[in-house]
Amino acid sequence: MALAPRDETITLAQLTADPYPIYRRLRSESPVLRVAAVGRTLLTKASLTKAVKDDPELFSSNDPATPMRPAFRAHTLMRKDGAEHMAERTAIAPALTPKRIQADWGPLYEKLAEEYISRLPRGGTVDLFKALCGPLAARILAHILGIPEATDDEMQRWSQALIDGAGNFGWAPEPFAASDRANDEMDALLERLRPLRIAEPDGSAYSVMLTAENPVPPSQIAATIKIAIGGGINEPRDALATALFGLLDNPGQLAEVKAQDAWGKAFEEAIRWVAPIQVSSRLVTRDTELGGCEIPAGDTVMTVQASACRDEELYENGEEFFVFRKKNPHQAFGNGPHHCAGAHVARRTVGKIILPMLFDRFPDMRLATREDVQWRGFGFRGPVNLPVALN
Amino acid sequence: MVKVTYVAHDGARVTVEAEPGESVMQAALSNDVEGIIGECGGAMMCATCHCYVDEAWEVGAGARAEGEEDMLEGAASEVTGRSRLSCQIKLAPELDGLVVHLPEEQL
Ligand code: HEM
Ligand code: FES
Repeated sequence: MALAPRDETITLAQLTADPYPIYRRLRSESPVLRVAAVGRTLLTKASLTKAVKDDPELFSSNDPATPMRPAFRAHTLMRKDGAEHMAERTAIAPALTPKRIQADWGPLYEKLAEEYISRLPRGGTVDLFKALCGPLAARILAHILGIPEATDDEMQRWSQALIDGAGNFGWAPEPFAASDRANDEMDALLERLRPLRIAEPDGSAYSVMLTAENPVPPSQIAATIKIAIGGGINEPRDALATALFGLLDNPGQLAEVKAQDAWGKAFEEAIRWVAPIQVSSRLVTRDTELGGCEIPAGDTVMTVQASACRDEELYENGEEFFVFRKKNPHQAFGNGPHHCAGAHVARRTVGKIILPMLFDRFPDMRLATREDVQWRGFGFRGPVNLPVALN
Repeated sequence: MVKVTYVAHDGARVTVEAEPGESVMQAALSNDVEGIIGECGGAMMCATCHCYVDEAWEVGAGARAEGEEDMLEGAASEVTGRSRLSCQIKLAPELDGLVVHLPEEQL
């Protein structure tokens, strides 16, 4: 058996602008490919990405040598395996269950959504990405996490700084300087709020972790909060923007979604079509084989769930946004032990509250000009603007 | 082969034949049984494979795995004494004929 073929033609700029035509080609020509520009072995078929994430012993998340560590100033749960990972994951889980979200927090989220939607100006073109998707995602997350004292701007800036730092594979100084500043600010806030969240437990993630019977160490509580800030704002924001684009660009489907109250399905299709987290990395712990190629221990494989979500083996017309698919077994929330801890939160807030409310308040909203919508991103992806005419 | 019957929330029944060693979740997925999602692939991280073991099989299906109780808290539908994560029920010849009921929703 030979090593996976190596590619020196694909560029990061191409992947950032529009990776989908490339992934489509790779799925048919070389689903296991060492891409020089990325420095990783890219896996683009659904069966491969799933097999890798489902086998944490062979494909470890534990890779302390990534820029994630300086960016978060911590070794976080996302980069741990086994019992250590489980302990930190179990600590935050009770704050993110569907029951918690629906019964305890549902009314608050409705109120927040109402507030942010009703302040949108009518009678002109509004960039919903900036005016709604980002700030509302930030506000909701601030409450879930137990840090509502942080402003929308702070939450969004911290999130971006963490993400940029974690993706700083070139180890340039500026992104780490920005994530250091963000860490200082987050640490100060968490320190200030700790006694309050202990004195008056409120079911938020911070409070739940602090008041657990056997709490994980404070440093790890902070690290998990930061992972949730880094992973809990841009993704629901991008999922919402993508869903809005998909529905507004396909009025026939939108009408059917309204008729059937199929907002949950529309949300699932949006994240399948353009997965907000497009790729993940895993460290190979033993010599192995994937798709007929030799994969040596020490290699880093990249599961391209964005591509898995359009795999011809699972989907007909996977390149298209189509809400009413018979089955939609997408991998946008990942799978295996690191399956997204916030999946229920995202599904309920975006799919069950925000989407229906927005179309209820603005039944005639339409895309100002489809061509003006820009998409960007290799690691994380979504529209970066969404000009919509509101009346 | 081991037979498993899934009873949907609306009462519809589907019986499939599974390999011993497979989980009740995997058997559902590989036979296109609707109503079990199993999004995390059996890592006990998603609770989208929730089922209720039929009364007659309560003992036979075994006890909950370590950590299963906690994760069941994350199930979307009501959790009862017979609730299990179907990814944690491994099929064996003794479970031939097993019946599980599916919840109203998994997400
Ligand atoms: C549509 C929205 C979202 C998408 C598409 C998404 C996607 C993902 C994916 C793919 C992973 C797995 C990464 C890996 O395998 O290495 C992940 C992990 C994670 N997500 Fe999300 N996410 C979303 C929203 C959220 C929200 C709202 C929160 C917080 C409340 C959150 C918190 C987390 C955490 C804590 C992890 C780490 C889990 C672990 O390592 O065990 N996510 N997410
Ligand atoms: S498949 Fe995720 S908990 Fe069973």
